[in-house]
Amino acid sequence: MRNTCLRRMAVPFALVCLCLAGCSPQPSVPSKTRTRVIVWHWMTDRQAAFDELSKRYEQATGIKVVFELFAPSEAYSSKVRAAAQGVNLPDVFGILGEKRDLASFVKAGHILPLNHYMNENNGAWKGSFLSKAVAMNEFSDGDAYGVEPGIYGVPIDMMTIRMVYNKDLLKELGGDPEQPPQSFEEFLSIGNKIKEAGMQGLVSGWGEVWLVNCLAYNLAFNIMGQDKVLATIRGEVPYTDEDWIKVFSLFKEMQDSGVLADGIVTMINKNAEQLFANGKAVFAFNGSWCVNVYKGMNPGLNYGVMLPPQVSDKYPVSIWGGAGSSFMVNARSKNKEAAVAFLKWLTTKEQQAYLSAATMSLPANKDCLTGIPDVLARFARDLELATHSYTWGISEYPQVIEAMGKGIQSIIIREMTPGQVASEVQKAKERQTARHAQ
Amino acid sequence: MRTRWFYKIQRIGIDTLIHLFLIAVSASCILPLGWMVSSSLKTQETVFADMSFLPRELHFANYILAWQEGGFGRYFLNSIVYTVSAVIGIVVVASLAAYAFSRLRFPGRKILFVMFVAAMMIPLPGSFVALYVLLNKLHLRNTALGYILCMISVGLSMSIFLLKTFFDKLPRELEDAARIDGASKLGIWWHVAMPLARPVLAVVVVFNALNVWNEYVLALIIFDSKALMPLQRALMVFRGEYLTNYPLLMAGLTITALPIILLYLLMQKYIVKGVTAQATFG
Repeated sequence: MRNTCLRRMAVPFALVCLCLAGCSPQPSVPSKTRTRVIVWHWMTDRQAAFDELSKRYEQATGIKVVFELFAPSEAYSSKVRAAAQGVNLPDVFGILGEKRDLASFVKAGHILPLNHYMNENNGAWKGSFLSKAVAMNEFSDGDAYGVEPGIYGVPIDMMTIRMVYNKDLLKELGGDPEQPPQSFEEFLSIGNKIKEAGMQGLVSGWGEVWLVNCLAYNLAFNIMGQDKVLATIRGEVPYTDEDWIKVFSLFKEMQDSGVLADGIVTMINKNAEQLFANGKAVFAFNGSWCVNVYKGMNPGLNYGVMLPPQVSDKYPVSIWGGAGSSFMVNARSKNKEAAVAFLKWLTTKEQQAYLSAATMSLPANKDCLTGIPDVLARFARDLELATHSYTWGISEYPQVIEAMGKGIQSIIIREMTPGQVASEVQKAKERQTARHAQ
Repeated sequence: MRTRWFYKIQRIGIDTLIHLFLIAVSASCILPLGWMVSSSLKTQETVFADMSFLPRELHFANYILAWQEGGFGRYFLNSIVYTVSAVIGIVVVASLAAYAFSRLRFPGRKILFVMFVAAMMIPLPGSFVALYVLLNKLHLRNTALGYILCMISVGLSMSIFLLKTFFDKLPRELEDAARIDGASKLGIWWHVAMPLARPVLAVVVVFNALNVWNEYVLALIIFDSKALMPLQRALMVFRGEYLTNYPLLMAGLTITALPIILLYLLMQKYIVKGVTAQATFG
């Protein structure tokens, strides 16, 4: 009986051993002398474009570049953090998150400073980029991050977040398709017409909080100016200031006017894009990536791009914008020189034009803006109005940002008043300031 | 006076209500699957415009495209290897451990078991960095072996808990009889405990197969090379940061779901028995 038992056990045991042996680490093959640059990124929808660029680079230089793309972005973010802790980062990688995350990677010695490369030949490489794109990866003297001043990343594309409108629906509402509302009053006045026509107004991924905060900061910049917004982040101005209450009140006004689509508070951006692309919403608040999305969903969509409506003429209207994604070079990589050379090649006019055309994204190279499709080019207009938290030299606490986003959502569903939200955001700010002061 | 007809109508009424409820529950389970198959047969344009359950034009070519563009062939093989290896590993280790916890008396038995059960409370993402660093130190990162060992470890807690509960309620007389016949402890485990535990083993197999088959995030963190990725990686090809190709994604999801549905159907009889056994014993 014992022998039979052992014989029978041997079968599954052998199966497990076989599987495990088959899966065991490959014996290390002596690597050929040829350099191989490994790049990690999160945009899997760019695989074909990256592979084509990699092929072209190999033909031109003999150096193989391997793009390993990992989605979804949250999982990619975890992968990069785990790899940093295990000192296993690839030659080139992207970082998702706040500027303080980039700062922590720099401080841990994971990212190569690029000042030298950017500034050689009279700053030729740095000068090829749109200044707003470079600023995203730059640390300056006196900012709050405690990082050695310099440039730590290479922008490969740009993005701006604006409002788009459906020309046909605007015409149906009696508006001029070429003259979208410019002032906040004009914008609100369309709300009544939208309600009467039984249409949906503004759609956006406000269920994801960050997009609602983008518009809140746009409005804040327009009402109180950049200096006062940054003074609030530094803790010098409270969120209970009347200008901030005014910002929060605008969301109540939008809701009361009927210009916001039903269910915008819980809407994710993919649903908002679907509604706008199908001609079911008059306005959308979305980033320049939407050009590609709308093209995929409804190639015949007739839409225009506009600035967020102006509330005050005291300060200019601002738009959210900067580098869409950037590449960082691993400071510990033995291929760092090859990695920098590849990034220089990738950001030349020719390659940027290819990447822009293949992915319908705004190029980071300033010489490529002329050849892009018209609707995409409109996202690149008025870039001097672009702002991004990465360029402010200071970051708001994530808990405060969350309190602001959730507060605005509460205003829209009429759970809280703008004054109550301002008070809640200020309390969150004070809690975090006290916690970090300890 | 209540007549025979009254009781008959009452029974028909109650039966109708029960059946309506069951039909509603079944529909809520089947509808998403049906929608997935229906969307997989549309185009990127019609998937947003044509909301009908049966599309006007059926694009079966989506399945071929999804298979080719997603590189399903290689990922399919990887997933089969990972699922089979991890499930065999879990069944062997968990059944031995559960049997030992149930029948053997050794110091620290209770604490060890509580520790295993407590491990069920730790969500997988909570251990990502720790697992990554550990595998890195063992030179098992970016290897299939490392991933399989992780998945075995992930599945052990629940499986040991299920099997120990079952073994605890097994009559000891059966084992005494085997012992009289000269069977060793290992022999009793193999010849007596394991055959009787078949229904619970079916639950363990299906539960863990489903878990390993659908796992992606740990694989993404451990593997750097696409060649080692499981089947879920193929689906990510269609789900970009901004752009999602819904028809191909749905076709890919249908392909991915088929083997696990098949496994469930094959083991359905044992699963029902296993769940009933757990309910009766537990």
